[in-house]
Amino acid sequence: MNRTLIRILLAGIAVLAIVFPLFAGDYPLQVARNIMLYMALAISWDMLLRSGQISFGIAGLFGIGAYAAILGVVRAGMPAWLSIPFGAAFAALVALAIGFVILRLRAMYFSIVTLALGEIFRIIVHNLHDFTGGPEGVVMSQGVIFGGNSSALYWLVLGGLAVAIAASTWFEKSRIHFALTAIRNNEISAKSSGVDIFRWLLLAFVVTSAIQGMLGGIFVMSYGFAAPDVVFSADFTLLPLAMALLGGIYSTQGPIFGAILLGLVAEWLKLKIPYGHLVVYGIMIIIVILFIPQGIKSLVKKTLGRESTAPEGGHA
Amino acid sequence: MTVKQRKAIVPAASAVAVVVLLLWKPTVLIYGLQAAGLYAAVAIPMGLVLGIVHIVNLSHGEFMMLASYATYTLCKALGMDPLLALIPMALITALFGWIVFQFTIRRALKAPELNQLILTFGLAIAFSQIINLIFTSQTYKLALDYSSMSLDVGDLSFGVWSFVFVAVAILYAVGLQLFLKRTRTGKAALAVGQNPNGAAIVGIDVYRTYGLVFALAVGLVGLMGALFLTKSAIFPSVGSPFTMKSFSLVAMAGIGNIPGILWGSVLLGLAENFLRSFRSTRDWAEIVYFVLIIAVILSRSLKGKKS
Repeated sequence: MNRTLIRILLAGIAVLAIVFPLFAGDYPLQVARNIMLYMALAISWDMLLRSGQISFGIAGLFGIGAYAAILGVVRAGMPAWLSIPFGAAFAALVALAIGFVILRLRAMYFSIVTLALGEIFRIIVHNLHDFTGGPEGVVMSQGVIFGGNSSALYWLVLGGLAVAIAASTWFEKSRIHFALTAIRNNEISAKSSGVDIFRWLLLAFVVTSAIQGMLGGIFVMSYGFAAPDVVFSADFTLLPLAMALLGGIYSTQGPIFGAILLGLVAEWLKLKIPYGHLVVYGIMIIIVILFIPQGIKSLVKKTLGRESTAPEGGHA
Repeated sequence: MTVKQRKAIVPAASAVAVVVLLLWKPTVLIYGLQAAGLYAAVAIPMGLVLGIVHIVNLSHGEFMMLASYATYTLCKALGMDPLLALIPMALITALFGWIVFQFTIRRALKAPELNQLILTFGLAIAFSQIINLIFTSQTYKLALDYSSMSLDVGDLSFGVWSFVFVAVAILYAVGLQLFLKRTRTGKAALAVGQNPNGAAIVGIDVYRTYGLVFALAVGLVGLMGALFLTKSAIFPSVGSPFTMKSFSLVAMAGIGNIPGILWGSVLLGLAENFLRSFRSTRDWAEIVYFVLIIAVILSRSLKGKKS
């Protein structure tokens, strides 16, 4: 396949994604929103992963953005549209503050601390009854954003996804890519070639946290409701992680593939088995780590590569 | 301050704290110790795996949960007491742990550390979701007379059954020390933990040892799972806090330090129950171990930077 063809194809997909609500019913729209939300989270998780840091704290930052947004509306009378960037900014600020300390940690220590921080955020929100509404959560009395119009809600999530994809592409095409890859491959040699490791990690952490916070804001604005067990749910860490791993890490396309595949499978299973359909995610993670650590993306690339080198059509 | 003085301060301060607690809030001391026993008994096997196989098993608590469910099913089907199931359950879970090790973890031992972390995370999800699938998210509990036994001392009344956890924790700690120092297999395991290549050169089958140690640890956790059922209600996610608590205790004690896990559990148990004893701070008890884990990891990493 040549480049122009790929570009035309991508533009086609983008147009299709934008006009989707014009011909799709409420149920497919709802499914698409869900998948796009997790897709964007998966992309943001992957962006930090490119520096070698595994975060288990997606749910924590997602929840912080969600609560910042809904409390901005309920307590401070902020307009709904403004609350989403506010959620993003708040999550970025929190990430900046904690990043100064925790980005000095490496490997499993970083992962475990992000997991613990997510839990701490949840408990704090859970216990500040008067401000956050405690375990019962908060309801937006003014109703859902856009009056709950399903096409508008779809475009809102699509917008969030577009931001995530744009940021990820920026990470891939700019100097950041080289800095993060160098840190991941060999921190000492990166440092000795003059890469300011801490600054780049902080940038990646703050940007990805802002995206996660923004998505939290979008989520909460489209349901008009937040409760600690809902917005800090482990699913928001788990699903994106499994999606990115399945699709293939260190890229933008990988998480996108993975999210579509796992999202559709999980949606189908949810209808069949109400309890425990998440088992697919666990099994998927195990299989991918053991057998295809490079993800589906690598399999696709391999098959495409073989076809182009063997034009006679003899593929395995 | 000399090292000797500094060493004397810690026991002295803890002795004072214990006396103060005993006079002021004896129930905090009692329930704190009982909780400490439970935490330590679950954390010690994780310390064993981390020390010898060098993996952080994020599905640690889930193995306990599986054992609890297996015991529950067994007890309901046969009408037997869970105490009778302790040893069989330990053997069954050990076998299960060995199988899981051979099929999954063993294959990832050479992979980067983070792959192992994600793999065991995947195992944890698979286990808890399979239980969710079979038993739904409903809670199950056995009604047992002895587990609600209580003792009256003056005007103080408290449950005594949970002291069994303290006994098991001490048994595990002492038993493992003896196993690692006195038996041939235990010495081999220690050697593998210190230097797998060296151990392989002197003729120790490294992977067999890893498998044995992992199975042993899972077996110990399985016994705790059966015992846990005597006291608590079970549900699919009941194990995951134990993974985190165990990890924070092991990280706090440092690799290979079993007595350190015991002391850490006492600290954690007392701190949690202390907060729980006041109305205004009750809800914050849950936060203690997350704060503790972060504090420990940060202080360790900063200390490491200085030296």
